[in-house]
Amino acid sequence: MSQELLFYSFAGLIALCSVMVVTSRNPVISAIFLVGDLFLLAGLYASMEAHFIAAIQILVYAGAIVVLFMFVIMLLNLDPDQRSQVQIAAPEVGVLALTVIAFAVVGGMLVFGQPTGVSGEMTAEAINSAGGNTFTVGMVLYTKYLWPFELASMLIMLAIIASIVIAKKDRPKSATEGDKRRLAHG
Amino acid sequence: MVSINHYLVLATFMFLCGTLGVLFRRNLLLVLMSIELMLNSVNLVFVSGSRLLGNLDGQVMVFFIITVAACEAGVGLAMVIALFRRYGTVDTNFLRILRG
Repeated sequence: MSQELLFYSFAGLIALCSVMVVTSRNPVISAIFLVGDLFLLAGLYASMEAHFIAAIQILVYAGAIVVLFMFVIMLLNLDPDQRSQVQIAAPEVGVLALTVIAFAVVGGMLVFGQPTGVSGEMTAEAINSAGGNTFTVGMVLYTKYLWPFELASMLIMLAIIASIVIAKKDRPKSATEGDKRRLAHG
Repeated sequence: MVSINHYLVLATFMFLCGTLGVLFRRNLLLVLMSIELMLNSVNLVFVSGSRLLGNLDGQVMVFFIITVAACEAGVGLAMVIALFRRYGTVDTNFLRILRG
């Protein structure tokens, strides 16, 4: 019962924060609600006994990614008229309708085919007796997923180099007036 | 015990919020934040499915998704900075060179 209460309060707050991230007019407010969203999700992960993922969520997402967003928001210092007007055009509405239809199909599948409690070998009790969530996740990560783990480190290296190259300042020539006019008028 | 359907409904709602943000917001930073929101909803599905199936592969997948999300945010924000430096705006209505 207490777990359901926890879930419903967290889920309500997550839904509220998600709506606020999308609808808020100021990017700083959006980023702060995004932090709230990520923390609440970490709480949900912890309630599902995924403690390692909960810790990683807080460390990486709330600690690194959103701080990066904050830095860029502060760096750009957008004028108020550049902030967040909503645009509505036909292709976007079409894509949105397709998404909603896809989710309706998924919901129908959920209603008609209830997922039963299929339990593999890694139940909560088995994990606890094997040394805890972090230990077991580490065992899976460093045995079965060793090569993807190494590739992930290569990916991070590539991303670092790409970020530095893209954001580097020594562009030989900036946009000319003709460039800007062409850009503004399509 | 909260059933997996609750988590799926919550993840669907989060994903829809992210989709709306990507489609209808004009600020490039907000678009990136909405993508983070969608990735997080997928993570929620992975973790709840991992608990339902009694299989830890889902949590390892979340680990990798978080890695990819970090890379994506870094490169995306670098691109935002480069675009802002070159054109002085992050409004997607003005950044339409590739729109044809």
